[in-house]
Amino acid sequence: MYKIAGQLAWKSLMRRKTRTWMVITMIAMSLSGLLLLQGIYDGMVSHMINTAIRSDSGEISLYASKYRLEKNLDYRIGNLEDIKKYLDKQNMIDAYVIRLAQEGLAATAHKSLGAILKGISLEDERRFGNFDTFLSQGEYSFGDKDREALVGFKLAEKLKATLGSRLIFTAQDANGEINAIAFRIKGIVKTGGLAIDEGSIFISMEKMAEFLSLSGAATQIALRIKNESKIKNVQNALQREFESIDVLRWDELYPLLIQMREMMDVFNMVSYMIVFTIAALGIFGVILVSILERVREFSIMLAIGTPYQNIRHQIVTEAFIMSLFGYVLGAFSGGILLLYTASSGIDFRYFEAGLESFGLNAVLYADIRGYYFLQAFGAVFFATLLSVLWPLRVLKKIKPIEAIQGKML
Amino acid sequence: MKLIHISKTFFPGSSKEVKALTDINLTFEKGEFTTLSGESGSGKTTLLNIIGGLERPTEGKIFFDGLELTALSDEQMADFRLHHMGFIFQAYNLISVLTVRENIGFIMKLLDYREDEINNRINELASVLQIENILDNLPGQISGGQQQRVAVARAVASKPKLILADEPTANLDSKNSQRLMEMLRALNEKEQVTVIFASHDKYVLAESKRTIVLDDGAVIEDR
Repeated sequence: MYKIAGQLAWKSLMRRKTRTWMVITMIAMSLSGLLLLQGIYDGMVSHMINTAIRSDSGEISLYASKYRLEKNLDYRIGNLEDIKKYLDKQNMIDAYVIRLAQEGLAATAHKSLGAILKGISLEDERRFGNFDTFLSQGEYSFGDKDREALVGFKLAEKLKATLGSRLIFTAQDANGEINAIAFRIKGIVKTGGLAIDEGSIFISMEKMAEFLSLSGAATQIALRIKNESKIKNVQNALQREFESIDVLRWDELYPLLIQMREMMDVFNMVSYMIVFTIAALGIFGVILVSILERVREFSIMLAIGTPYQNIRHQIVTEAFIMSLFGYVLGAFSGGILLLYTASSGIDFRYFEAGLESFGLNAVLYADIRGYYFLQAFGAVFFATLLSVLWPLRVLKKIKPIEAIQGKML
Repeated sequence: MKLIHISKTFFPGSSKEVKALTDINLTFEKGEFTTLSGESGSGKTTLLNIIGGLERPTEGKIFFDGLELTALSDEQMADFRLHHMGFIFQAYNLISVLTVRENIGFIMKLLDYREDEINNRINELASVLQIENILDNLPGQISGGQQQRVAVARAVASKPKLILADEPTANLDSKNSQRLMEMLRALNEKEQVTVIFASHDKYVLAESKRTIVLDDGAVIEDR
């Protein structure tokens, strides 16, 4: 019985090729658009998380207790050598950086603004998170005598500073004295992280220690962990080892990114619902019309003894054949779009300002995850199932004799 | 087959009420070649549809080999039609997406006949009905006369006990009408299948062994 239903379904679809291909194309286009959208949404969030990890938090960051509540140098990590020795022995830790930061006032000849001055090692930062790739202008260097700095691009804009501009940073040192340091801008960085782009200035660790009259100390130690699944284990081990230090994961430091990821999941779900409601309506319309067109044919089939189930199988098979082809075509074209977007990105230069305010670059890259295709398959399957329910009800109400006598036509 | 006190009223109790059949009592023996005749509106098609279970009588019972057909559910009646009845309609009503060969073998496939049995039967009927050369055509590619012969082949393919034909010659010219009736008569004699027509076509009446004339929903003549 299933074989006959399958044959009839296939032949019916082939008989109405244009309509069949229109539905298949509609499903395929909806699906590939949806896959691309999902990939870009996830890519945006991944980009923000990745940027935050590479440029700031690592997978785990260590802070002196209370430092995050009150950015005071009194709350600094002092036992730096002990921590370094411990970290050097841990094979789960891929890299780590030591940073020394202090809030203060950055001034140019034109303007002064609150900012954070950070002492870092450029080489360590390069190993840690390819920090050099964030350089948008100038050189990745503090100059021959460590008298130059890297500045976040938004901060540079606000200070009306360019490469070579002179900056003066005023802040309180470890002894509570107000000190000032002058340097020229060697490079401008654009990370996508708002805190860095809008308010950070980077100088060498040595210069920073000298400026703050503080050596052998840090305000943050950020770690890169080799295996994502081991982050919690490493965190727990570090917390046990250094009880007086706050050991925090990136998601604890950036709860907003987690919220954003959850929000994107909701966006994805809403997009799925909208797109597949439209697709389901499309399939529904085509199936309903194809049933109404063939009421007489189905009536004849019922009249000569064809079981209703057989005709139901035929209709459901027709819908699923179209959906399956639509899915395969959509998954294939969506996969290609995702691959392209993951490697080359999509240029949204016209929306650059808006994207930057969210910490995103003008070129957005998509993520590709296997479950997209499984989700899409489930959605297509569900949409198809929903779309045939009403047409099947119509079919069930057919009275063969009325159709044969032309009363339903 | 026995029809006992069969009556049919459409839209009972409403202003549109129509009494289509009144107290019909008939018996059909195996191998009969009978025509239900009468003017348009006499009730012959309604009676044929009631015999085939496509319509339910308002009153009365129908028995077939001792089985009360009027007591069967719609699903059971559909199954009964599949196994024991063949239908030929005025407008041929072939399945448009299937070839002639597939249309003829359709019922046999539903009944799970083996492929070789189906093919043998198709070839046998195609030869008798002279449609061998159109077996791979779609219904839309053949003439009305050919389509009606295919409909006959489909109706008799699974060797049902009863064939019901509603105005089978209405859309055919005289030559094709005569040829179709000769073929049906030959099948009736060869396969001992009971055939009941609803028709007022002279060619059908001429070939019939028994004619039942209806008028205003009642049997007025049975010869």
